[in-house]
Amino acid sequence: MAKDIIFGLYNDEEHLMAAVDKANEAGLDIWNVYTPFPVHGLDPKLGLSESRLHIAGFVFGMMGTLTAFLGMTWIFTRDWPIIFGGKPYWSVPAFIPITFELTVLFASIGMVVVFYTVCGLGPGVTNPVLDDRITDDKFCLAFDANGLSDSELDKYRDFLNGTRHIAEVHLKSI
Amino acid sequence: MNNNFTFTGSQRTLTFALMAIGLLALLFGVFTSPEGTHQARVWSNILHNTAFFMGIAFISTFLIACKISAYSGWHTNFKRILEAFSMFLPIGLLLVLIIVAGLWTGSHHLYHWAADGITDPNSANYDSIIDGKSKLLNPIMYTVGTLGIIGLWTFFAFKFRSLSVSEDKDDHGVGKHEGSSYWRSSKVWAAIFLPVGGFLSPFVILWLIMSIDSHWYSTMFFWYTSASWLVTAVAFTILFIIYLKSLGHLQQVSDEHLHDLGKYLFGFSVFWTYLWFSQFMLIWYANVGEETIYFHTRTRQFPVLFYGNLIMNFALPFLILVANSTKRMYGIMTFMAVLLIFGHWIDFFQMIKPGVYEGLHHHSHDHGDGHGSIIDLDGKPVNVSKYQKDGEPVLVQNDHGHDHKDGKTHNHDHDHGDGKAHNHDHGDGHHHAGDGHDHEGKDAHGHDHGAHDAHGKDKGHDHGHGEHAAHGHDDGHHGGGHGDHGAGGFEMGYHLPGFIEIGMFLGFLGLFLYVVFTALSRASLIPVNDTYHDESTHHHV
Repeated sequence: MAKDIIFGLYNDEEHLMAAVDKANEAGLDIWNVYTPFPVHGLDPKLGLSESRLHIAGFVFGMMGTLTAFLGMTWIFTRDWPIIFGGKPYWSVPAFIPITFELTVLFASIGMVVVFYTVCGLGPGVTNPVLDDRITDDKFCLAFDANGLSDSELDKYRDFLNGTRHIAEVHLKSI
Repeated sequence: MNNNFTFTGSQRTLTFALMAIGLLALLFGVFTSPEGTHQARVWSNILHNTAFFMGIAFISTFLIACKISAYSGWHTNFKRILEAFSMFLPIGLLLVLIIVAGLWTGSHHLYHWAADGITDPNSANYDSIIDGKSKLLNPIMYTVGTLGIIGLWTFFAFKFRSLSVSEDKDDHGVGKHEGSSYWRSSKVWAAIFLPVGGFLSPFVILWLIMSIDSHWYSTMFFWYTSASWLVTAVAFTILFIIYLKSLGHLQQVSDEHLHDLGKYLFGFSVFWTYLWFSQFMLIWYANVGEETIYFHTRTRQFPVLFYGNLIMNFALPFLILVANSTKRMYGIMTFMAVLLIFGHWIDFFQMIKPGVYEGLHHHSHDHGDGHGSIIDLDGKPVNVSKYQKDGEPVLVQNDHGHDHKDGKTHNHDHDHGDGKAHNHDHGDGHHHAGDGHDHEGKDAHGHDHGAHDAHGKDKGHDHGHGEHAAHGHDDGHHGGGHGDHGAGGFEMGYHLPGFIEIGMFLGFLGLFLYVVFTALSRASLIPVNDTYHDESTHHHV
């Protein structure tokens, strides 16, 4: 189902930040903000809570740690003990590098999978884009315009046109 | 906003009180020192704290130079704290001068390479390995090197400081895009200092700390020591920011700065661990006796220090600082900073004290029979020389044809003649029971050096191979005796810091705080004319 979005484009993240502040002051409900790169300090202004992705990272990392360490412990002490360089079978220092590697591997792959799942991204998914340039050099402040009357729509349009350094204002159905 | 720090009477009282505690501890240490130790405990404390605090001052200078070279701006609002730390360098120079004076007057015997006749082939003390290193390890090189390099660093520290402070008083050039002339000048000095500081610091570390274990050498040691200084300097910076903010200063330093310093603390702690582990694993894996002995001594005789070091400086900061939120909490950051300062002080303690302890026991038993002591059992390299008067290299020194690659060779050597059951018919590769190797109840001990936990008591030793450690790895339960085998056993001030160590640490801390407070009070806390002042004020994580 199509959704109407009214959005303004800015050329600089400072201008976008000022517009976000102004929208917050005016009590407008910001639908979303799009930027070509992460803008420091934007999250708190939008009232976004801290990402929980790193918790997933920690859990997957720990799984990697345990998999590597317990795996090697079992292999080298129970399943197929081999003497390497005259060291004990259970040579913890020798296990550390691989434990580290698997921790990083599990954490990174796990976080990618969680991120894609939560965002609904994946093969075959189409993602409507408001304006191609928001992946390049434009900063977008978007409001939900679904089912708004013309006068309500004008309120948003006037607000966007009233912000400093506004470049363009568009209404788009996605 | 209060931009000027005043060194108040109560802060003065505090620093002087700390220094008084330090002095009392020092005097107590001097008067309770056992005979014949050449005040080793007090001298090693002086060396320990000198290396620790001088290093903080050096690494702060290095951080300043890094940040100038990297055009870094975020730290500008607290850069006066780093500059104040760097002002401890001249005091560090004086402290090193005391150690140098002690070396020349023979007041301390911290450095085995400085012993009489150590490079004289005709002397009973002759040590061919130290002789081979004597171009670097001799009193003249030590003196010129340490004082010269630290003096050079001091010059740079003052240069950065004066350029930075001059910028405050004169706003000529401020607002220009390319920055003030002072800043441009400091960029040049910083670019010169980075290689000077980076390439010369290993020598200072080598002379001050690593040469205590005269036979031992590790190329990772310098990085590792520098990382320890780095973590400590960041921890002190955090403490000072929190303290100054509590006094109403540094209002422009926000949670964002603290968060980034928390990342430094976390990142450099992991970096330190990486270096610690790399050094350990390379030596553990290669199992070359002269290198392994360093860790053998520490894991067997100083386990609390050795493992406590890892828990304090890796496990705790890793688990506590890994979360985003903890780096913005003042209470947790204060706790972590204090923990890591103490932790890295312990790290330096375990770099210095075991070597001093061994040197002490070496000297004391040198005049005895030289057998059966802990030192012999550990195959301590200095003892190697006792059985090596012909000056041949250690690795081929034994005459049995078995090519032991490590220090334990020597254990076999001086077992001869003591009537024990194990004459090693090396070369024929025969197996013989490990039980035959009891020296004074310290079973199996002469054999498993270098291969931690590879106790071969029940397994028999195949001396036809070069690798002893191959034996008995499936946790043979060795009888008692090794581990913390005897010879003095636990000794306060070497195995753990005692009251004298803590007291002297507080004394040096008082001196450090005095210098830092003085430096802070002499310039405005916020460098408002700095090119990056604005960027720092609006810093976001």
